[in-house]
Amino acid sequence: MEFINQYILSFLVFFPLLVAAAIMFSPTTNVARWTAMIGAVISFLASLHLWYYFDPQTPGLQFVERYEWIPNFGISYFVGVDGLNLLLVVLTNFLTPLVLMSIWHKNDNRQKAFLALIMSLQCGMMGALVALDLLFFYVFWEAMLIPMYFIIGVWGGARRVYAATKFVIYTVVGSLLMFVAAIVLYVLHFQEFGYYTTNLLDLYRVTVTGTTEGWLFLAFALSFAIKVPLWPFHTWLPDAHVEAPTVGSVILAGVLLKMGTYGLLRFAIPLFPDAVSTFAPFLMGLGVIGIIYGALTAWVQKDAKKLVAYSSVSHLGFVVIGSLAIIGDAMSAEALTGAVYQMINHGISTGALFFLVGIIYERRHTRLLEDFGGLAGIMPWFAVMFIIATLSSVGLPGTGGFVGEFLILLGTFQASPVAGTLACLGVLLGAIYMLTLCRRILFGPVTKEENRVLKDLTPLEFGYLTPLAVLAILMGVYPNLFLYKIRPSVEHLAANYRHYRLVAVENDVGADSDRKVIGQAMVPRPADSAKSNAPESKDSSVGAAL
Amino acid sequence: MNYSLPQLPVEFYSAASPIFVLAIGSLIAMLQSVIGGFSRPLAVKSVLHVTLILATVLGLLDLGQIDVAYLEGTFLSESLARFGSILVLLIALVVSMLFSSTFLATNFFRGEIASMYLMVVMGTLVMMSADELITLFVGLEMSSIGLYALIGYVQPSRRSMEGAVKYLVLGAFATGMLLYGFALLYAGTGSMRISEIVVAMAKVGDHPWVKVGGLFTLVGLGFKLALAPFHLWAPDAYEGAPTGLTAYMATAVKVMILIVTLRFMAEGMNHLNAVWMPGLIFLAIASMILGNVMALVQSSLKRMLAYSSIAHSGYMVVAICAIGFHSGQLPVAAVLFYIVGYTVITLGTFGVLMWLESEEADNLQLDDIAGLAKKHPWACAAMATFMFSYAGFPPTVGFISKFFVFNAALTSELYSLVIIGVIGSMISVFYYLRVIMKMYMAERVPSAATFLPNRSILVCGITGLALILTFAFGMFLPDSFMISMKETSQSVITR
Repeated sequence: MEFINQYILSFLVFFPLLVAAAIMFSPTTNVARWTAMIGAVISFLASLHLWYYFDPQTPGLQFVERYEWIPNFGISYFVGVDGLNLLLVVLTNFLTPLVLMSIWHKNDNRQKAFLALIMSLQCGMMGALVALDLLFFYVFWEAMLIPMYFIIGVWGGARRVYAATKFVIYTVVGSLLMFVAAIVLYVLHFQEFGYYTTNLLDLYRVTVTGTTEGWLFLAFALSFAIKVPLWPFHTWLPDAHVEAPTVGSVILAGVLLKMGTYGLLRFAIPLFPDAVSTFAPFLMGLGVIGIIYGALTAWVQKDAKKLVAYSSVSHLGFVVIGSLAIIGDAMSAEALTGAVYQMINHGISTGALFFLVGIIYERRHTRLLEDFGGLAGIMPWFAVMFIIATLSSVGLPGTGGFVGEFLILLGTFQASPVAGTLACLGVLLGAIYMLTLCRRILFGPVTKEENRVLKDLTPLEFGYLTPLAVLAILMGVYPNLFLYKIRPSVEHLAANYRHYRLVAVENDVGADSDRKVIGQAMVPRPADSAKSNAPESKDSSVGAAL
Repeated sequence: MNYSLPQLPVEFYSAASPIFVLAIGSLIAMLQSVIGGFSRPLAVKSVLHVTLILATVLGLLDLGQIDVAYLEGTFLSESLARFGSILVLLIALVVSMLFSSTFLATNFFRGEIASMYLMVVMGTLVMMSADELITLFVGLEMSSIGLYALIGYVQPSRRSMEGAVKYLVLGAFATGMLLYGFALLYAGTGSMRISEIVVAMAKVGDHPWVKVGGLFTLVGLGFKLALAPFHLWAPDAYEGAPTGLTAYMATAVKVMILIVTLRFMAEGMNHLNAVWMPGLIFLAIASMILGNVMALVQSSLKRMLAYSSIAHSGYMVVAICAIGFHSGQLPVAAVLFYIVGYTVITLGTFGVLMWLESEEADNLQLDDIAGLAKKHPWACAAMATFMFSYAGFPPTVGFISKFFVFNAALTSELYSLVIIGVIGSMISVFYYLRVIMKMYMAERVPSAATFLPNRSILVCGITGLALILTFAFGMFLPDSFMISMKETSQSVITR
C-alpha cells in the first residue's frame, strides 16, 4: 500500500499514455478496444484507491510526488491532490471507461488512432489536474489540446476543421498570455526570494502588488475564462460541441471545461488575491450574463446538441460566480463548495445528455428537435435516462444539480444579492429550456413515421448510462458522501484565500495515526533557509492549524 | 627579407584541424571530377562524407580546451566557436546524407559540387572562429558565394536560377553593407578585432563613425539572418533552392550569423544601447510580426517555412536584445538552446519533405499534402510533431526553448517584446496547424502530386532521430543541455 500510495498519481498520469502506445501497436482493432478498456478500468480502480485513501481530515496536499525536472531553473515534476482536484480526478477516470463503451461497436479503420487519442487526452487532463508546478501544469494544459484537436478535426461533423481550429486558437490565445504571466511571476519570485522556482506552493508566497498583479491576474483569468468558457469568450464552445463526435463532446463537457474553473481556484485566485477582490464583481457580472445569455440562447436552439452546449455556458456561469463569491476578507465557503460540487455534477449530467443526444443522432442522423417527439412511448428506457439527466441538469431537489446550485446561490446571495437574484433567474430559465427539450423530444404526438421504429437502448448503452444516472441521483440524495472529502480543502481556501498556503501531507495508510507534515521545502534549498524566516513562520501556523 | 612561418603550438593545429580537413577534402573532391573513374557519385559521396565525419570527430575531440586566440585573433579556439563548428558540421553531414537518398543524389555528388559544398562549410567555420574582421569577412564570402552557386547549379531550373540570383544580388548588397560597417568601425576604433572594438566602444562609442559603422554591421547581419525588413531574399531563395540546401540555409547559415552576432553583442551591447538596441528591437518586432503574418498566406510549404524561419530569427533576436539589459549567461544560453532546438526541428521537417519529394514534385504545395496521413501515416505523424514543436506546444523542444527565450527577455523586463512574440506565436499556430489540418483532415486533391517516397533507411533514420531529439530536448535533456550552453556562453561573456 505504501508503495502504491507513493506513486499512484504518476501512475494515473502516465499509465494512460502507456495504454495509448499499446493501442497503437496492437494488431487488430478488437485487441486495441480491449487494451483501451482494460487500461481505462485499471485507471478508474486506481482513482478509487486514491479516493479511498484520501484523508478527509486535512486541507493539505496528499499523495505528493516531487522530482527535479529542470533543477537549474527550479522546475520540477510536482503532483498532489487535495479537495479541489480529488473529485475531478475521479470523474475523469470514471468517464473514460463509459466513453470507451459508447464507441465499442464503432467500426472505423482509424479506430485505433481514436482510442489512442482518448487515452492520451486522459493523460493530458490528469497531468493538468494534479500538477502543482506552474510550468509542469502548463505543459499538460497545452498538450491536452492536441488530442482534442484531432478528435474534433478528424472525426467531427461537417464543419469540423473550422471548429477544431477555432477551439485550438481560442485556447492558445489565452494560454500564451498565461504563459507570459507565469514567467513574470517566476521572475518576481526570483527577485523576492533569490532563487528560481515554478513550485506553486512557493509562488503562493510572492507578493505581487498594484497594476502588475492586476495584469497577471487578467492574463491567468483570461486563459481560464476562455476554457470555462465565460461569456463573451464562449463562442468556440457551441461550434466545438456541435462538430465534435459524441465522445469528444462528453469529454469536453465532462472534464475539459472544468479545467478552466479548476484553474481559477488553484491558480488565479490564490496567486493574486487582491486582484481577485478588485475584479470579482466584474467577473461575477460576466458569470451572471453567461448564465442568462446561455439559458436564453439554449431556449431558442433547434439543434439538441447545440442546446446542451449552450446549457453548459449557463451552468458553468454558476460555477464561476460560486468561485468568486467574496464576503469581506474571505470567500463564501458554501458557494465554493457548491462550485466544486457543481463541476462534478455538470460533468455527469451534461455528459449523460451528450451521450443521449448521441444515441438518437446515431439512430436518426439528425439532432433537430422538430424531427423528434413522442419518443417516450417508443423508447421508454431512453426516456427514463433522459429525464434523469434533464432533471439533474435543471437542479431538481434529489439530484446533484440541486445541491450544487443551492450551495452556490446560498453563498452568492451573501456576497452579492443582485448577482444571486439574477442567477436565480438562470435556474428558472434552465428549467424552461431543459424541460422544453424534454417535451419536444420525448412527449407529444409522434410526428415522424421514421421515429416509430426506433429501437430502445441496447444493453451496452444501458450499461454506460446507468452509472451516470445512479451517480446523478446519489449526488443529490447523499451529497455528504462526496462533500466530506473536499470540505477541509475548500474551507481552507475560502477562509485563507488572501494568504493562501498549502502544505504537503504524507499519506499513511493507517489514516490518522502519526501523519507527518512534510512542509513546503521538501527538497532542501540552500538559498531558502536564509531568506524565508517570515514565510516559514506562517507555514508553521498553518501546519499547527491542521 | 626573411619570411618565416609563425611558430604555433600544436593546440592550434588540433583546434583548426576541422578546417584543414575540410580544405583538403574540398581539394580532393575537386580533383575527382578531372580524374576519370573517381568521379562516380559513390566515390564523391565517400570523400564528402568521410571528410565531414572526420572534421566532426576532430571538432569533438577538441571540446573542452581552454579559450585562446591565435594569429592576432584570426583564429579563436573558444567554446562558442567550437559549439558552432560542431553544430554546423553535423548539419552539413545530415544535409548531405539527406541528399544521398533523393532524386538529386547524382546531381549533388559531383566533384565540383561536393568541393563547393565543403568550401561553404569551411567558410562557415572560418567565420565563426574569427575575431578579426577581415578573416571573418573572408569566411562569410566563402560560405555565401559557394551557396549562391550551389543553389543554381545543383539542379538547374528557372526557379532555382531565380532564387540563386536573388540571393546573390541581395546577399552582395548585404556583404557590402557589412564591409562598409567594418571599415567604419575600424576607422572609429582603430582595431580590426571584435574583442578590441567592443572594448573601445566604451570610450569612443559616441563617435559618429562608430555609430554608423555599428548600424551598418547590424543591417548586414540582419540581411544574412533574414530579419525583417531585410528578409526579402529569403522566401525566393528558400523556394528556389533544392530542398537540402534550403535546410542548410535555414540552419547552418543562421547558426553562423547568430554566433557572430553574439560575439558582437555579448559585451558590446552595454556600450551601444543607444545605437543598436532600438534597431535590434525593431528588427525583432518586425521579424516576428511580418514572418508570422506572411507565413499565413503562403501556399508553398518551403515559402511558408521561409517566413516561419524569419519569425524564429525574430524570437532569437528577442533573447539577444535581453543581453543588453541583463548581462549574464541566461540570454546567450537561451539563444544557443533555441538555435539547437530550431535546427533539430528544421532538419526533421526538411527530412520529411525530402522523403516525399520527387523530380515531378520538388516544390511541395499545401494542396499536395492534403489527405496524406491515410497513405503515409508515419511521415505525417513526424511532420505534425515538428509543426507542433515549431508552434511551441509542449512537451517538445519548441516549447521549452520559447520558455528560455521569454524568460531571458522578461528577466530583462522587455515586456513589450515578449507580448509581441506571444502574439506572433498565436498567429503562427494558424499556419502550423494548417499543415496538420491538410494532412489529417482534408481530402486528397485530384491535381495533387503523387508521391513515390523513397524508403531510404538513412532519411527515415535522420527524421526519426530528429523526432526523438524534439521530445528529448523538450522533456529529458533541457537541464543538462542548458548547463552546457551556459558554459559555452561563458567565452563570450568573460572575454
